[in-house]
Amino acid sequence: MGIHPKTFRHAFGRFLLYLVLISSAFLMIVPFYWSVATSLKLEQFVFTNPPQWIPNPLTWANYIHVLTRIPFLRYFTNSVIVAVTTTLGHVFFDTLAGYSFAKLKFPYRDQIFFIMLLALMVPFQVNLIPVYKIMASLHWINTYLALIVPNLTSIFGIFLMRQFMMTIPNELLDAARIDGCNEFGVFRKIALPLALPGIATLIIFTFMGTWNDFLWPRIVTNSEKLFTLPVGLSQLQMKNTSNVAQIMAGTVLTALPMIIVFLFMQRQFIEGMTAGALKE
Amino acid sequence: MTAVTLTYRFKRSIQRYSLPYLFIAVPMISLIVFLFIPMLVSLWWSFNEYTGLTAAKFVGLDNYIKLLTDDKIFGRSLLNTTLFVLIGMSIGPTLGLLTALMLNQNVRFRSLFRTAYYLPVMTSLVVVSTIWVMLYNQNGLFNTILENLGFQKVGWLSNPHIALISVAIASIWQGFGFETVVFLAALQSIPRELYEAAMMDGAGGWAQFRHITIPSLRPVIIFVYIIGIIGSYQVFDQVFVMTSGGPVYSTTSIVYYLFGRFMNHKLGYASAIAYILFAILVIFSYLQMRFSREKA
Repeated sequence: MGIHPKTFRHAFGRFLLYLVLISSAFLMIVPFYWSVATSLKLEQFVFTNPPQWIPNPLTWANYIHVLTRIPFLRYFTNSVIVAVTTTLGHVFFDTLAGYSFAKLKFPYRDQIFFIMLLALMVPFQVNLIPVYKIMASLHWINTYLALIVPNLTSIFGIFLMRQFMMTIPNELLDAARIDGCNEFGVFRKIALPLALPGIATLIIFTFMGTWNDFLWPRIVTNSEKLFTLPVGLSQLQMKNTSNVAQIMAGTVLTALPMIIVFLFMQRQFIEGMTAGALKE
Repeated sequence: MTAVTLTYRFKRSIQRYSLPYLFIAVPMISLIVFLFIPMLVSLWWSFNEYTGLTAAKFVGLDNYIKLLTDDKIFGRSLLNTTLFVLIGMSIGPTLGLLTALMLNQNVRFRSLFRTAYYLPVMTSLVVVSTIWVMLYNQNGLFNTILENLGFQKVGWLSNPHIALISVAIASIWQGFGFETVVFLAALQSIPRELYEAAMMDGAGGWAQFRHITIPSLRPVIIFVYIIGIIGSYQVFDQVFVMTSGGPVYSTTSIVYYLFGRFMNHKLGYASAIAYILFAILVIFSYLQMRFSREKA
């Protein structure tokens, strides 16, 4: 007695499903694996045929080179300073503004908000050059100020936080006011804790956007001391085209912090990313 | 007594009306200084010949006329960027939907697969591009595999007919995980009862997909395409790292060209390019509003 055809078809379908899933996941992982493997190889074994899947001999020399001969640690520190400060700015300013637009009444509130929504459509390339000129006239080129100040708040962040603040019941806020809380106290003690999931989303968007940003930091820095990781990596790649293994060590060092953050906060990442799309 | 009440009221109303303005002050100032004023300034510059070093000279619509009728490289960059968008948008979202549909089956290790697809999305484009430059190398992994399978080596980034496609492939690889995650979340929010009712009516898998899945996903599909189109039209990082716009301008994108003009102190010209890009994006944003308002 053979297997029932329907069961067979089902099992075959499952087999095919897993086959496609596993091979496509494989295609996603291989480039990452290959760059890690390459970063641990001697340069002469980078482009061998057959490909050297496991580095032999395994060497840390490329990492040592990148960390000592090229200021990658400095790039890393810059990236951390810029991303953390920018994110803190967003958390404070966007949240407070989002709260104001959602819960406070003031003249021209809705008109101002509407103008902001229109401005959301403006691609930043339109403002790029004038903002660069502002930075230059303030002598902020090659300083953290140019990397941070123009990006301390965003319309998108304010919009996102307004959406979250809208869901907080007014009764809670009024109760706090009756208890004698001032307006900032109402925001800090009632609204802020209730908007924490929204803030998590905001942090993820901002941190990731700033950490990975390239064009703006590329334009306002030309001193190695101020490079962020992506800018430093792109310079390494252009300057040092021959030594692929070292470039890959730099690549791994640039990607790793974000990947670690992602793996630890995966749920928040994915919920945050989908929140925007599904809230429509 | 009345005086006290009045002062109290006065203080309250000051608080009520001025405090919100204080709360939004920093974002508003930032918006005015870094967005509205620069927007107007670059609009003005776009009608000028301006190097940033000497005084601006008003030239009317010359920059736009030159860009749209005379400048072959800009024409090429418009074409390249549009092709890049077309390739990306015809494959990326479809790949995202297919992977989401697979993951929406009752599969084991779903979150592990999802992580794999999503990993490149949160990796910087500079990192992704650097990795792909290595893979695309004349003696890189791709060509080694092709050679061992008996094919000719491909000039992934050196052949002007192929380079743009290569950049697009790397970009699709980087980005489709976003669509996977968004579609998967949307699929999981479709009520089970809809499918159960359809099965009672004898609808097969394909009919269910056509009449339940696709209509339910409609708003998300529109969202994904519009966000994708707007983002892809601004492609820069990949071009900068992988090809520097070459070979022979075959991968020069609008923003890459703008960047080049900016570096060459052609600020008025670069501003006009920015406004043409803006116009393109406005058209797509308008389409999104039209589509999302339409009833399915």
